[in-house]
Amino acid sequence: MAIDLEDDILQDFLIEAGEILESLNEQLVDLEQSPEDSDLLNSIFRGFHTIKGGGSFLSLTNLVEVCHKSEDVFNLLRNREISLNAEMMDAFLRVLDEVNAMFEQIRSGEEPSAADPSLIQELVQMQDPDAKMDDSVGQKETDTQDSTEGDEMAVTAESNINADEAAEQFVSGNDEITDEEFENLLDALHGPGSQPKAVKTAKDSETTPNTASDDITDDEFEALLDELHGKGSAPTSVQKDAQTDPLADAETEKPDIKDKSVEVDPDMISDDEFEALLDDLHGKGKGPTATAASKETSSKSDSSDPPPVKAAKPATPAKASPKKSATKKETSVSQGETTVRVDTSRLDEIMNLVGELVLTRNRLNTLRQTFEDERVHKAISSLDVVTADLQTAVMKTRMQPVKKVFGRFPRVVRDLARNLNKEVRLELEGEETDLDKNLVEALADPLVHLVRNSVDHGVELPEVREKAGKDRQGKVILSAQQEGDHILLSIIDDGAGMDPEVLRNKVIEKELMDEETASRLSDKECFDLIFMPGLSTKEQISDVSGRGVGMDVVKTKITQLNGTIDIDSELGKGTQLRIKVPLTLAILPTLMVQLGSRKFALPLSIVNEIFELSSKKMSVVDGKEVVMNRGKAPPVFFLRKWLLNDCEGMQDYEGDPQVIMVQVGNAAVGFVVDQVIGQEEVVIKPLDRLLQGLPGMAGSTITGDGHIAIILDVPGMLKAYT
Amino acid sequence: MAEAQRIADSLQCVTFTLEEEIYGINVMQVQEVLREIEVAPVPGAPDYVLGIINLRGNVVSVIDARTRFGLPSKESDDMTRIIVIEAQNQIIGILVDSVAEVVDIETDEIDIAPNVGNAETAKYIDGVVSRGENLLILVDLNKLLSEEEWGEISGF
Repeated sequence: MAIDLEDDILQDFLIEAGEILESLNEQLVDLEQSPEDSDLLNSIFRGFHTIKGGGSFLSLTNLVEVCHKSEDVFNLLRNREISLNAEMMDAFLRVLDEVNAMFEQIRSGEEPSAADPSLIQELVQMQDPDAKMDDSVGQKETDTQDSTEGDEMAVTAESNINADEAAEQFVSGNDEITDEEFENLLDALHGPGSQPKAVKTAKDSETTPNTASDDITDDEFEALLDELHGKGSAPTSVQKDAQTDPLADAETEKPDIKDKSVEVDPDMISDDEFEALLDDLHGKGKGPTATAASKETSSKSDSSDPPPVKAAKPATPAKASPKKSATKKETSVSQGETTVRVDTSRLDEIMNLVGELVLTRNRLNTLRQTFEDERVHKAISSLDVVTADLQTAVMKTRMQPVKKVFGRFPRVVRDLARNLNKEVRLELEGEETDLDKNLVEALADPLVHLVRNSVDHGVELPEVREKAGKDRQGKVILSAQQEGDHILLSIIDDGAGMDPEVLRNKVIEKELMDEETASRLSDKECFDLIFMPGLSTKEQISDVSGRGVGMDVVKTKITQLNGTIDIDSELGKGTQLRIKVPLTLAILPTLMVQLGSRKFALPLSIVNEIFELSSKKMSVVDGKEVVMNRGKAPPVFFLRKWLLNDCEGMQDYEGDPQVIMVQVGNAAVGFVVDQVIGQEEVVIKPLDRLLQGLPGMAGSTITGDGHIAIILDVPGMLKAYT
Repeated sequence: MAEAQRIADSLQCVTFTLEEEIYGINVMQVQEVLREIEVAPVPGAPDYVLGIINLRGNVVSVIDARTRFGLPSKESDDMTRIIVIEAQNQIIGILVDSVAEVVDIETDEIDIAPNVGNAETAKYIDGVVSRGENLLILVDLNKLLSEEEWGEISGF
């Protein structure tokens, strides 16, 4: 089948599968840390399964093959039939890379090429224990019992047994039900829904009760099934699954049946109780009821020798079961109805429109004084409130957890550490922090670069670390937190740290700076040298880093985002990189000030206080003008001199100038302006290419009265003018 | 046939003046002509960039053609205009002494620029066309920002 990129189904599949792939990436790395985590194994299994399902619907044979094989292996893994080892991990990560590559091909409209045959071979070999499948019925039963506790693992235990196997088992294992009966059952099942694949479900589910015990008569079973499917009435997601892949369907429905069958297993629950349980499960579906049900179940099956571990911690299964079992259907329905996928360009459009609306509102606010009519005032006030709310609401739609970026790092760090023979542990903090979508995307590359740097340059080889009396395993912490209207991202490693001397010598050696200037730099300024283009402290260029192009690109990128980056490092202890970016890029609360006839906007976030210059005493210390304020003497600068033309700037302003105290990094600085106009939320209009990158200018905006105001980038301005 | 050829080879130019010279730019690149409006200077900008203007909600940079062409600057007057042009996917305004008219030029009328005048101006000249007494100088907008600067800019 040719790839038709216009195809909606394909597009949906690409988006959905893309998300799954992203989480698979994370999960696989997690799995390496905790190979026994059955929740993880299950969700990886489901991930491959879903991709396979979608792929087969779209006839992407090569994709299906590799996913199918991986799925098989994971099925065995989660059933504890084989256990995970390092080679398998590597193979899985390679599988993921292959699948990612295939998706790239699909996205560019090509048929995905076949996966590396040796990889497939590897996957097949992993399933070696597969051969024992036939005599493992008993084991499967045990698994089934596990599922009584609500452990999702066994819930889907059979979903990958394909139709043939199931049928075979059915025939060989138990002949209690005649084909006719079976037909009837199926009819009962599919009367309303008529989904072809539930056949398998039925088969599977029957297999289990029969092998276990015959306590439920067919009639009862039928009734149960009726109960189950009567309500089902094909919710969207389930239906979709059914269309795309039979197995998915089976998986969705099986939990219910499984639960039942297992509960019947021990013979301890009477049919009545069983009914009651089912009612509980299916009647309310979600939450406490289901939990209660599964708890009850686990306590009951206690007597029938369940694995003690599971019984010991009923909390876990209780948590898992309401999600995975009966409620699965209900949850997916409600999810399907509450979310809508929206093209990001549409969001951008809305954001732009809101920006224009904000400007118009500002203009109206300015005009307000000229109206006498009370009603006009009221109308403008309410417009004001609504616009503010709208702005927040739209902004929220664009927020994404920073997890979206962080998610890729475990893999990055793992691969890199392996390549470099280092042992590195990555800790992620504050993944839930929300950030503007554009920022999330824009930050991805710089962060990858910085994290790679930390692993490559920062963390030492295990032997070196041991010698230095450190833990063999290095640690890299990647954290995000909100600080007012900023987001602080830090990358902290406990590696070797940076030597200011080395950096100093390096700039001299590369002739980026003369010796004298270099020797005057403080340690902190030396660290900032790494942002200079053409500088790398690594003697050898690796495929990871060392070309000396990275850091200045990172710096430029962060600056473009209105952010700042700073470094702190201690030799032998480690390095800390802090990136500060605003929550959103579009709208900025500012303080408007006047200089001569011009208006300038200072980001409100850095303004600490405003006072009249005449109210404080000014003095000159070390050639710098300072103003006495609150027992301190922060330097003050006359913005007129900096920002107005020579002739204008030199004229002294007649009125009483105001001082705006701003916080830049750790330092407080005062700016003298003619007049403070007030607070205004502005839409940032970036300066065009001709003017971009001007030191101290963050952009421009159109003020309430239709004039242009320049938005100042205070740290940049201080750097450029002092 | 010959007629068609001629149409294909003709060019429409908007002419403007600086000092006493007449210059022309391809009409396809001109978006609009504004009477001089308030230009907000941008501190720290290169000297040929006058500042930015509010063009119906969009911020557009304005460059001073006089400074760019190495001519002495002049107080603006009633005739001063800003030509808003599009060059290399970027919209910029050019401040000129006055805007005259739109003229048709046959491509074969265009002569290679004589190697005279100051080097500053020569860089941006595509060719010259003689119109009776006068010489019409065709400006290559893409070169108006010198190549190094384009490189500099696209580096961001």
